[in-house]
Amino acid sequence: MATIELKNVHAEVAEGDEQILHGVDLEVKSGEIHALMGPNGSGKSTTSKVIAGHPAYDVTEGDILLHLEADDFDGIDEIPESARTWDLLELEPNERAALGVFLAFQYPAEIEGVTMTNFLRTALNAKLEERDELLFGEDEDEDEDDEADAGYETSPMEGPADEGEVGVAEFQQLLSEKMELLDMDAKFAQRYLNAGFSGGEKKQNEVLQAAILEPTIAVLDEIDSGLDIDRLQDVADGINALRDEQGTGVLQITHYQRILDYVEPDTVHIMLDGEIAMEGGPELAEKLEDKGYDWVREQVYNAA
Amino acid sequence: MSGATRFHAGIDVETVERIAEERNEPKWLRAKRLDALEALSDLDYPDVIQTPGRTWTNLADLDFEALVEPFDQTEEKDWVADDQATVVPFHEALNDADLEALVKEHFGSVVDPEENRLTALSTALFTTGTVIYVPSNVDAEDVKIRTTMNGTSLFNYTLVVTDQNASVTILERQDTGADAATEERYYSGIVEAAVGENAYVQYGSLQDFDQSTYNYTLKRGVTDTYATLNWIEGNIGSQLTKTGVSTLLEGESSETKIVGAFFGHEDQHFDLDSKVWHRAEHTTADLVTRGVIDDEARSVYEGVQDVGRDAWDTSSYQRENTLMLSDESEADASPKLIINNHDTEASHSATVGQIDQEDLFYMEGRAIPEQAAKNMLVEGFFVPVLEEVEVDELREDLEERIHERLH
Amino acid sequence: MSSEENLQETDTEARFEFKKEQHSAFQSEKGLTEETIRLISEDKDEPDWMLERRLRALKQYKKMPMPTDWPGQPDLSELDVEEIVPYIRPDVETRGGAENWEDLPDEIQDTFEKLGIPEAEREALSGVGAQYESEVVYQNMQERWEEKGVVFCNMDEAVQEHEELVKQHFMTKCVPASDNKFAALHGAVWSGGSFVYIPEDVTVEMPVQAYFRMNSEGMGQFEHTLIIAEEGSEVHYIEGCSAPKYGTHNLHSGGVEVFVKEDAHVQYSTVQNWSKNTFNLNTKRAIVEENGTMEWVSGSMGSKATMLYPCSILKGRGATDNHITIAFAGEGQDIDTGAKVYHNAPDTKSTIESKSISKDGGRTNYRGLVHIADGAEDSSTSVECDALMFDNESTSDTMPYMEINESKVDVAHEATVGKIGDEDVFYLQSRGLDDDDAKQMIVAGFIEPITEELPIEYAVELNRLIELEMEGSLG
Repeated sequence: MATIELKNVHAEVAEGDEQILHGVDLEVKSGEIHALMGPNGSGKSTTSKVIAGHPAYDVTEGDILLHLEADDFDGIDEIPESARTWDLLELEPNERAALGVFLAFQYPAEIEGVTMTNFLRTALNAKLEERDELLFGEDEDEDEDDEADAGYETSPMEGPADEGEVGVAEFQQLLSEKMELLDMDAKFAQRYLNAGFSGGEKKQNEVLQAAILEPTIAVLDEIDSGLDIDRLQDVADGINALRDEQGTGVLQITHYQRILDYVEPDTVHIMLDGEIAMEGGPELAEKLEDKGYDWVREQVYNAA
Repeated sequence: MSGATRFHAGIDVETVERIAEERNEPKWLRAKRLDALEALSDLDYPDVIQTPGRTWTNLADLDFEALVEPFDQTEEKDWVADDQATVVPFHEALNDADLEALVKEHFGSVVDPEENRLTALSTALFTTGTVIYVPSNVDAEDVKIRTTMNGTSLFNYTLVVTDQNASVTILERQDTGADAATEERYYSGIVEAAVGENAYVQYGSLQDFDQSTYNYTLKRGVTDTYATLNWIEGNIGSQLTKTGVSTLLEGESSETKIVGAFFGHEDQHFDLDSKVWHRAEHTTADLVTRGVIDDEARSVYEGVQDVGRDAWDTSSYQRENTLMLSDESEADASPKLIINNHDTEASHSATVGQIDQEDLFYMEGRAIPEQAAKNMLVEGFFVPVLEEVEVDELREDLEERIHERLH
Repeated sequence: MSSEENLQETDTEARFEFKKEQHSAFQSEKGLTEETIRLISEDKDEPDWMLERRLRALKQYKKMPMPTDWPGQPDLSELDVEEIVPYIRPDVETRGGAENWEDLPDEIQDTFEKLGIPEAEREALSGVGAQYESEVVYQNMQERWEEKGVVFCNMDEAVQEHEELVKQHFMTKCVPASDNKFAALHGAVWSGGSFVYIPEDVTVEMPVQAYFRMNSEGMGQFEHTLIIAEEGSEVHYIEGCSAPKYGTHNLHSGGVEVFVKEDAHVQYSTVQNWSKNTFNLNTKRAIVEENGTMEWVSGSMGSKATMLYPCSILKGRGATDNHITIAFAGEGQDIDTGAKVYHNAPDTKSTIESKSISKDGGRTNYRGLVHIADGAEDSSTSVECDALMFDNESTSDTMPYMEINESKVDVAHEATVGKIGDEDVFYLQSRGLDDDDAKQMIVAGFIEPITEELPIEYAVELNRLIELEMEGSLG
């Protein structure tokens, strides 16, 4: 059971002093689905970006912690006790990813020339390698200087560079399984990463990546916007599968109640002006749909 | 100095002194003229592109100086402007203490008189010009200047200064007088523009000299913060034209656009360059030129987008398209990118080609005669640049001249 | 590259670092005199006409000025040709190359081991000519090609064995010594290189490969490559270069001449990885006859300064040129490269694709000339240049020149410059790649449109070199 915990998170834009988050408290556990809702500019996307470590934002106060239990990672019998609580703010974005924190982007980058297959296999292997380093230190991994000195004793022709833990054939198998699950066309695998993808295809691709990388915590930033109803269904199936099969904890950022019909949240958080203003069960989302954010504002500020 | 003996009148200290004396010029200006004169013999002609075995425009063989008649600089000039902006003949400006101070401050500050041999010659000998000054917060009406050249040579100087938040559109037209003799003549014009903070200047120019004229012009502006400077450069006339239009983006978030249109025919030769130097953060430049060449005409285009080391967040674009109507014509183009800051989005493209045969066939299939169809396509080719011209009058003039040339 | 793992790779890092002590049989005096030229020619036992060409080239070299007036050209002021020894012959018993691998001195074998050449041969490349310093010392052409009349030999040997062909083609109409100062220098002091002759209608399916290497301090390399592809023939020639690091400036000034006859097809590929103190100033040119095709593939990774503009003269109707250029400039490097194409006949076609990457203060420049002659109707040319900049210390220039004297043509040029996007890097990082891997992946993606057109071993080599370049900046 993994938990991500945001404690009193304040954040501002790195270049400039515009403060966006004013003390966000949030907790998501494995297997749970949380919805984070709020009007434009309330700080939802910023919350997702500071969790993933986007360099454009500085966290000025508060903590973002990841708590792991001994058996949280498949293939690792026991996570060392010293490596069970992580201060994510001290980690690089890729290190966070290696520990299973996944962000599905609202606007995924388009990268020409890099095929999906190449990218995802590289990412998966990088994740596994980095995770080992984080959990067990940089032990048996070769020291780079030694390697350079020893270089001439071995034939320069020996084997290609760094195969990685997951080989090509094994990966292709994995990829095609996951793509089938998400009802994605097999030719996606050979296309360039998000290049020329439609809005819906990009979102589907984000979910596919989550399925491959098997995150402990997935933050999905407006994964439902720009999707037609069929694709929304596929994407929702993918999210439910993440939770049901991999026990991923999901933080779903959305404008619309619509996706919550397919992915039922355990908890709904409503964000206003950089803070969590209100929390409740799935019924809160419906209420919000009826009454709008002004109602939340009234409730909160009258109560305060 | 090459060919010094062939000058119609001496290009010497005496001549320069006399020009200055007759116009009762202040000392500082006299000194600038004499400095330029002195530097003349050590200066080179303006840069032209050279590739192995070819010089794109051969200026050195043209003896500009032989065409100079310092005391026969006859012209007619019309100025149209409203009260809000100051638009006065150059020498009148020197009679007003405030204006003289303004001229003194800016004269030669944007275009160094000693930049090349032709700018120095122009500085030493100019006899006419215009000073345009738009004070802060004034949104001036369109300013129109028409210069009609009647003599053998004419050296013209224009200064544009705008203060904070000022805005002005200037439209300049040059042509040759009906009574002018048909012998070869030489026109030289320098334009300097200092665009103040958040000010807006559009400077349009339509060059329509007769085809005995050798034309050299250099227009350059410098922008302050948030300033916008847009150039429109129309070239229809002259035997040989060598022009440079450029903007030095010195103020943060300033912008420039250089829009060019040319149409050469017979044995005209146009050598046109557009240059922008990005020297501050968040600056934007858009260079768009379209030209048509017919008969034995020749066009040379050089475009430079130069992004300095400190010009963060630059956007810079350049497009050049040339349409060749004749097999004997020749089009050379060199769009260049010089990028020293990686936080830049820059692109350029250039094409050269003829009228699309499919388009022509399609139109002919709709019963339009070939020539008419071609003319329509040529006029259509210019539309993207004409659309950039915000001054209706200039656009209409250009359209009309293009139309005339086609028919 | 998806099939990368199926391939053997050469260890480019090892290639780059080691150097061997010198035991050379002959070393010419420093500086360039007529005496030096005569010595070189005599030592090679050349016919008189070749000596005469050398001496004439020397005169032209002395007369011509250094090219210093090009806008934005690399700084050649530290290059002192007189100080660079023009010719060194390695200490090998058999002139003209050893027949068998085992006959080579251990030291040279060892060097080649590290270059991966025997391995390349095992990969069934059709011929291996390896140039250790100035002379080709090891040659092997598979018998089946020899039977068909294919010649692949050391250039020095060709002067003796194929004298008429060489006399007719060597620095005459393709790259005359008068072309430029460095072509003249090359004509005076050239040594070694390859001669390739493909008879009519013969297709050499496997790439013909040659490696060049400089290993003596302050030594120039002036190899000459002459390729004659007769009507309807086809060949792919691969040249690889790398030199170990040394203190003084090295000069590489090679000459390449390619004759592409009617309907013939020649591809010439280079990955240049000269050490970072080398001045790499080459003249490469092809004359392409009717319906012939010339393809230039150039990767410029190494050198201190490179000036290289492979040129195709499209002389026959329907001739085609294809240029692929990749330049990568790191700290202290100025890679000024591009293409030249002369469309001198109707229906000719050229395509130029250039990708350049600059980082750590390096400079890349695309410099290209497309000339369409009057009468070259229905010709077309398309040029695309893209540049990627890593940081604010670097420079990326683009300087195309188009000279169009014919109206029935289609001419297009496009160029873009951009940086590595922070958002792109973050996206990849959030998927588990570290900062460096993310950037590397973006670079690989950037040049992918070009690498996918390369022969696979070249694509692998290029990617390896780029990885090395990028790692270099991190350590």
